[in-house]
Amino acid sequence: QEVTLSLHQFLPAQANVPRLVLDVWADNVEKDSGGRIKVDRYPSMQLGGTPPELMDQAIDGVADVVWTVVGYTPGRYPSTEVFELPFMMTDARAASRAYWEMFETHMKDTEFKDVHILGTWVHGPGMIHANREVKVPADMEGLKIRGGSRLINNYLSELGATPVGMPVPAVSEGLSKGVIDGTTIPWEVTSALKVPELVKNHTEFEGKALYVLTFVLAMNKDRYEALPDDLKKVIDDNSGVEFSVFAGGTQADSDGPAREAAVALGNNIVTVPEEDAKAWREAAQPVYDAWIADMETKGIDGQALIDEATMLMEKYSQ
Amino acid sequence: MTRLVTWLARATAVLGGLVLVLLIVLTTLSIAGRSLSKLFHTDFAQSAFGGLSNWAINAGVGEINGSYELLEAGVAFAIFSFFPVCQLYAGHATVDVFTSALPQRALMVLRAFWEIVLSVTIVFLTWRLSDGMMRYVNNGETTLFLEFPVWWSYAASLAAATVASVTAVYCACARIAEVALSRAILPNDPMGK
Amino acid sequence: MEWFLDLLPLADLSRLELGFWSFPILLGLIFLRAPIGLAMLLCGFGGWYFAMNGNPTPLLAKLKSETYSTFSSYSLTIIPMFLLMGQFATLSGMSTALFKAAESFLGHRRGGVAMASVGACAGFGAICGSSLATAATMSRVALPELRRYGYSGGFSTATLAAGGTLGILIPPSVILVIYAIITEQNIAKLFLAAFLPGILAALGYVITISIYVRLYPDSAGTREPQPMSERWAALAETWPVLLIFGLVVGGIYAGWFTPTEGSAVGAAGTGLVALVSGNLNWAVFRNSLIGTAKTTAMIFFIVLGAGFYNGFLALSGVPQFMADYVLGQGFSPWMVLIIILVFYLVFGCVMDSLSMILLTVPIFFPVISVMDFGMTPEHVAIWFGILVLIVVEVGLITPPVGMNLFIINAMDRTTPITETYKAVMFFVGSDIVRVAILVAFPAITLFLIP
Ligand code: NA
Ligand code: NA
Repeated sequence: QEVTLSLHQFLPAQANVPRLVLDVWADNVEKDSGGRIKVDRYPSMQLGGTPPELMDQAIDGVADVVWTVVGYTPGRYPSTEVFELPFMMTDARAASRAYWEMFETHMKDTEFKDVHILGTWVHGPGMIHANREVKVPADMEGLKIRGGSRLINNYLSELGATPVGMPVPAVSEGLSKGVIDGTTIPWEVTSALKVPELVKNHTEFEGKALYVLTFVLAMNKDRYEALPDDLKKVIDDNSGVEFSVFAGGTQADSDGPAREAAVALGNNIVTVPEEDAKAWREAAQPVYDAWIADMETKGIDGQALIDEATMLMEKYSQ
Repeated sequence: MTRLVTWLARATAVLGGLVLVLLIVLTTLSIAGRSLSKLFHTDFAQSAFGGLSNWAINAGVGEINGSYELLEAGVAFAIFSFFPVCQLYAGHATVDVFTSALPQRALMVLRAFWEIVLSVTIVFLTWRLSDGMMRYVNNGETTLFLEFPVWWSYAASLAAATVASVTAVYCACARIAEVALSRAILPNDPMGK
Repeated sequence: MEWFLDLLPLADLSRLELGFWSFPILLGLIFLRAPIGLAMLLCGFGGWYFAMNGNPTPLLAKLKSETYSTFSSYSLTIIPMFLLMGQFATLSGMSTALFKAAESFLGHRRGGVAMASVGACAGFGAICGSSLATAATMSRVALPELRRYGYSGGFSTATLAAGGTLGILIPPSVILVIYAIITEQNIAKLFLAAFLPGILAALGYVITISIYVRLYPDSAGTREPQPMSERWAALAETWPVLLIFGLVVGGIYAGWFTPTEGSAVGAAGTGLVALVSGNLNWAVFRNSLIGTAKTTAMIFFIVLGAGFYNGFLALSGVPQFMADYVLGQGFSPWMVLIIILVFYLVFGCVMDSLSMILLTVPIFFPVISVMDFGMTPEHVAIWFGILVLIVVEVGLITPPVGMNLFIINAMDRTTPITETYKAVMFFVGSDIVRVAILVAFPAITLFLIP
């Protein structure tokens, strides 16, 4: 082969995203290039560093391609947070499509100008898993919850819960020890962390989801620019909006089997209906207000981003 | 000069050690707060001495928020501060078996040689760390919980790493001088290895 | 930079070849007395530089944050905490009390003071998760006593080097925490599983000592037995250790805190005992901080070098190549397990334990976890973890590169390290026998696991 690309990320190789999304992407690139591109895969941070450093590794060329959670570097990619606000998204495919569109119009040449983005997506609906039943916002009072992102942590505080910071691998242990009472993750991640065996209550929301995280698949800019045109085309054909929708959709599709596993264990699954979710959404208003104010200090019109994202997601949901 | 560097290295180590002790206290208090808060939230505590329990909960007895981030930032500073004494007292692990047969003079030269390479490496790492700090100054990244700028912790670590660089360079020069003058200049660790 | 590249044949090598070449270069540097962390770091620098075809940008960029992120690692904070605990244990008289208690019961036997040292190490290992801290702490007390009773230099240092490994063999254990993080296993269960093998290790060392003193009667002295009343009195003096053991280990199982937090609780408890004992004035406190500083910096420099070198090795594809090779031979699961363990024993001679765990577990664990040993996957993971723990622990005492050997030898400048090397091989033998037993009878490891 002519070109060997290193693909670096933080999950073990057998986890859902590496197996069902990243490997598929890499295999397709290898196949479509007629074997002229080879993608070496380095799971579990094998090339060194910590997950928050992944983005810089792609920018600096330590790795050629990285997959990372945008929220691992709080403050650097503020516009992406519009999708991470509580009760924004409903469907991972629609949200990933909207995310790509807004990436192209608002973020490509600003926040992400140092790196070549191949895909942007969100996971399936994020929800609450706890050691006691949670139906109304008041049930959250006093619970110690590991939150997944800056904004969900702010929301947990608003609800009177205590957001706890701990690395993902510590979640299982924290739950089994009662160091935390619960965690916010989508269904898909619960099986790897054995969450349904550790806590018996799950709270999901009809309609708009509690929260999501935003992801990017990012490539070193120079490395991309240096490719011959035909290989550039191979990369281009495998990236962009279609890939983003595929990635978000695949990740969301893994939610189903994980949910069934919890049902099989006889766990208590609370689905908050649309009308009851109103109280939850009202409690999120301060998070929205604070976020818009925060964006203003960065010279970004937060309300406009919210409106655009809402409009696009509604459009693509149909 | 040797006395000044010795004082600087030891003082930095003690400062880092005090930060470590502080982190131990912080973590222990955080655990105590968490356990107490769990206790006060139990039905028994609420019914038996509800007033006290609620007072304690409202007074903020509980896990210290963001103790995890403080621990990470603090321990990084502590470890950078521990490097100067390790340099000063030649504390780095080496394998002496294959060189033990060399004459004393050759050993001193070898030691001076590695001390030079080591000091260049430490200065190099410190320079890279300063670039790392500048990156976080410019990109505005914060921590997840306390949302303080990441570069603050880098700056603290950089200060300690700078002391480590100064000590390392001084030690390298001293080892060269030791070879030239054939006498010891750098102090032995008063506590032994 | 171009001319520089032309001079070096390294520039033409593939990444895999670079990876294989790095081994002899690393060993060469170490044997030339380069500090171990420095040697690894230099190989890592060179590796990344040449693997990127002479483009220095990735290397320079990586170093912007990797030093900081290595030193700020949450899971590694337990190393300085356990080391400080060792310092406090010395100041508070806890380590002396432990040794005196063991010595009063065993000291009059042939090799009894050495056995007592192992017993005291086991006691300290029950509260401390670091082998280096255990070896260093107990040596301060036991080494002068061993020499006073006429024990030979090499036998004394070897006993303490081996006894020190009980620091990680008996839970809590730094290495198990790291294994649990890499393999996403339950730390508390791993600690439970390590309990019986840890006791077995202490017993094995005691038997080794009794064999050694029969083979070399001149290597050990004897003393008069003490009355029982004095023995019980000495045992009663160890109550602070029992208290902290109860607090740390009990707290971990009761769910009050995580094992990482447990190291802080242990250090705080030991510090409190030191404070109450009245031995803690500013001067000794300052010295214990400086002592902790020196050893912590030494360990973290190696961790830094290992991390950087491991990143390069992963990039080179060497570990993957070796794993594929072993798997490609069509061996049975047991054969693969034995090959892996032998690999650890051999590489443990020249590599540092922590570096080896960080380097190899991500490669070997997936291989082992898909194989059928007739147990549940979780049991296989725990059992393999304990076996790996033991074989890398052996690496701490196998010549020529063994961290415990270095620590002890630095504390006893009068004994040439070659003497330590000779005597320690008996303890290595005992370790190998133990590994064989645990491989043959997984039930010993899994006995306490629900
Ligand atoms: Na231990
Ligand atoms: Na060894």
